[in-house]
Amino acid sequence: MYAPLLTNRYLTSRIIPLIAAGAVTLCVALVIVVVSVMTGFLDMVRGSGKTLIGDVVVSRSISGIPYYEEFIRDVEALPQAEAASPIVETFGLMQMPYGTGDGGSQIETVQVWGIDPASLDRVADYHSKLYWTKPSPELAKTLAPDDPRLDPMYQRDAEGLALKTRDGQPGLVLGIEISPFNRRTADGTYRTEGDFGTQDAGHFMPNTSGATLTLVPVSDRGSLGGEKKRRFAIVNELQSGVYQIDAQRVLAPLDVVQEMLRLDKAPIVSPTEVDDNGRPKVIGESPARATTIVIKAKPGVSAIALRDAVEVAYKDFALRVASDPSRKVKVPLRAIVATWEERLADLIGPVEKERELMRTLFSIVYVVCAALVLAIFWAIVQEKTRDIGILRAVGASRKGVLWIFLRYGMMIGVVGSALGVLLAWAIISRINDIHAMLGTPAALWLKILAWSAVAGAVAMTVRGARRASALQTVLWLFGTLGLAGVATALLFHRGFLIWDPSVYYFSRIPSEMDWVTAGTTVIGGIIFSIVGASIPAAHAADTDPVQSLRYE
Amino acid sequence: MLLAAEHVKKTYHLGRVSVPVLRDASISVREGEWVTIVGSSGSGKSTLLHLLGGLDRADKDSGPVLFAGEDLRKFDARRENRYRNHDVGFVFQFYHLLPELTVLENAMLPALVGLSRWRWYSTRSALRARAAELLATCGLSHRLEHRPAELSGGERQRVAITRALINKPRVLLADEPTGNLDIHTGSGILDLLAERHREGLTTVMVTHDAAVAARAQRQVRIVDGCVV
Repeated sequence: MYAPLLTNRYLTSRIIPLIAAGAVTLCVALVIVVVSVMTGFLDMVRGSGKTLIGDVVVSRSISGIPYYEEFIRDVEALPQAEAASPIVETFGLMQMPYGTGDGGSQIETVQVWGIDPASLDRVADYHSKLYWTKPSPELAKTLAPDDPRLDPMYQRDAEGLALKTRDGQPGLVLGIEISPFNRRTADGTYRTEGDFGTQDAGHFMPNTSGATLTLVPVSDRGSLGGEKKRRFAIVNELQSGVYQIDAQRVLAPLDVVQEMLRLDKAPIVSPTEVDDNGRPKVIGESPARATTIVIKAKPGVSAIALRDAVEVAYKDFALRVASDPSRKVKVPLRAIVATWEERLADLIGPVEKERELMRTLFSIVYVVCAALVLAIFWAIVQEKTRDIGILRAVGASRKGVLWIFLRYGMMIGVVGSALGVLLAWAIISRINDIHAMLGTPAALWLKILAWSAVAGAVAMTVRGARRASALQTVLWLFGTLGLAGVATALLFHRGFLIWDPSVYYFSRIPSEMDWVTAGTTVIGGIIFSIVGASIPAAHAADTDPVQSLRYE
Repeated sequence: MLLAAEHVKKTYHLGRVSVPVLRDASISVREGEWVTIVGSSGSGKSTLLHLLGGLDRADKDSGPVLFAGEDLRKFDARRENRYRNHDVGFVFQFYHLLPELTVLENAMLPALVGLSRWRWYSTRSALRARAAELLATCGLSHRLEHRPAELSGGERQRVAITRALINKPRVLLADEPTGNLDIHTGSGILDLLAERHREGLTTVMVTHDAAVAARAQRQVRIVDGCVV
C-alpha cells in the first residue's frame, strides 16, 4: 500500500519528475507531429495521384487495345466494376498561345490524354478537377473579388466537360501548371497573372485564341510517322493538386487524338487485290484503339480484387477475338493490368520510403527519451538512496522498492505521453496557421510584449544580484538572454515559409492527426519510460539497507 | 532468550581491503530487558545492532543471530522482511524519516509496508487512530500533518520512535537515539523509551554516552569487535 502513496508523493512534491515528464512529452509530440505530417503527405500524394485513373488501369502502349468498346462492355458487366473509360496516352508538343518575349512561341512538352469526358467523369470524377467552374457559394465567399472565376463570362465548365467550344469545335483542357502565367501564390492558391475583367484576357487561360498541339504517330514496330499538328481552343484547365500532373497533362477529345495518332477506325486493304475503281480492295476494318482503359471499382470492392477480375476478363476477351475468324485484327494477349497504386509506384514509393526513413530516424527519439528518463531516474534513485534504506529497514521487499520506481517511471511515461499527444494535436491541428504566422512579420503588439518581457527579466536579474542570490541571478540572466533572443528574432522577422507548395505538390501542410501513430508512440513512450526507470529501480531494489542508510 | 548473537563475525570489504568489524561478539537479551551496547566509535556496536535487526548479514563462518530461537540466517526474503517489519522496530540516530510524507504517514509507514491493499482498506481507520494515539503520547498530536522538515530534532526522533512501535514489535533497536540531540531533548527521548520499556518492551540501545547507557538495566561493552 506504501508504493502508490510514495509514487504519488514523489511525483507531486518535486520538480525532477516534471522535467522527466516534459522530456517524454516533447519526444512523443515530436514523433507524432513528424510522422503525422509525413503520413498525411503520403495520403495526399496517394489521393491526388489517383486522380483521373480510377482503381485499375489496363494499358497497352503504342499499338493500343483494339475493340476496346467491347472490352469496356465486358468490364462493366463484371460484378466488381462500376464503370470504365478509354484513354489514348501519348506525348506531344504544345505551342502556347503566347510568346516568349523574344519573338518565339512558348513550346511545352506535354503528356496528352485523349479522353471520353462522359465516361471518364463516371470513373474518375473528371468534372471535379476542372478549374474554371462556377464556384460553389461556399467557395465564392473565399475567393478574392477579382478572381476570374467569379466573372460569369469565364464560366467554362460545360466546355471543359465536353472538350468542345460553344460552336462545337474540339478543345483542350490544360494542366493548370503548364502555363507559366498561372502561379501558385505563397498561400498556396493558384492565381492567374495579367489583367482580367474588362480588358483583354491576355495570358489568362482558357484562351480562345488556341494552342497548337503536335503529335507524332508511332507504328507497332516503333517507326515514327509524320507529325500531326492541329490548333485547338483551350476550353478549361485541370487542377488535380499534383504538380507533375498539373504541369504536364493535356486532355483532348479521344477521337481527335486517335485520329492524330492513327489509332482511329480505318479500312484494311488488300496488298494484292484491287476493286472496280482500281484502288486497293477493302478486305476489312481496323478498329479504333485505346492505349489505356481506366476502371472504377464498385463500392466495397478492393482495387486488387478488381484487378484480378479484369485480368481474367482481358484474357477471355483476347481469346474470344482471336477465335473469331471475322475479326481481322487480333487483340494482344498481354496487356498491363495494374491497380492505381501499382501504376503510381514511382510516385508513391519514394514518399513511402521517405516516411519510413523519417519514422526510423525519429524513432531514435525514443532511445533519447529512454536515455533521458534513465539519467533522470538514476539521479532520483541516488537522491532517494536513504529513503530506500529506510523502506528496507521497515520491511519493504526488493520487489516493493522496485515497484515504487517502476510505477514512478510508468506514471511519468503515461503523463508525459498523454501531454505529448495533446501537444502534437495542438500543433498539427493548427500547423497551417502556425505556418502562416511564420510567413508574416510579427505584429507590433507581440514585439512590444516581447521587449517588455525582456525589460522585466533584466529587472529581475538586477534584483537577484542586489539580493546576492546566485541562483536567482543566473536563472533570470538566462531568462533575459532567451527572451532577448526571441524579441530580436521577432523584430527582424520578415516572414518565411518552410512549406513551398511548388516543391511539395500541395498548397497546405497535412493537418490530420495520425491516431495510429499517436497510439504506438504513446505505447513506445510509456515502454521506454519504464525501460529507462527499470535499471535505476533494479539498482535501488538491490541496494543493501545498511549501505543505503549510511549514504550521504 | 528473546534475542541473541553467538560469536558473530562481520567483515566489510572495501575493494581489496577487508575490514573486520566484529571478530567475536556474543550478546543475549531476555524478553522485557533493556540492554545497552556501549563502546567507542568504530568498535562495531552499530554493526552488531544491524545484525540483530536483520539489516545486515554476518560472515559465512559467523555464529548465528537468534530471535526467539529462530536463526536469522535461515530466513528467506519474505521472512526477513517480516522480521524487520513486524518483530523488531528500529530507531536511528539521524531519525531517517521520509521527507515527502507527513508525520502521521511516517509513523504509519511500517504498517503500510506490512499490509496488502485490501487489508489496508479494512484497517486504515484503526491504524490511523493508533498512530495518532501513539504520536499524542509523544506530544505530537498537533503535528500530524506536518512534514519532517518542519519539526525539531527531538520531535523527529519521537516520530521515529512512534514509527518503530506502530507494528507492536517485540524488540526495539535504537542506534544512538540521543546522539544528535541536546541533553534536555535527549533526556526526554530516553524517558519515552523508559516508559515503553516499563510497558514490557524489550529494548537494545547503542550508545557511546555513559550517562545514557546508565539508564539501561544492563550494559554490554564492545572493544575492537569483541564483547568484553
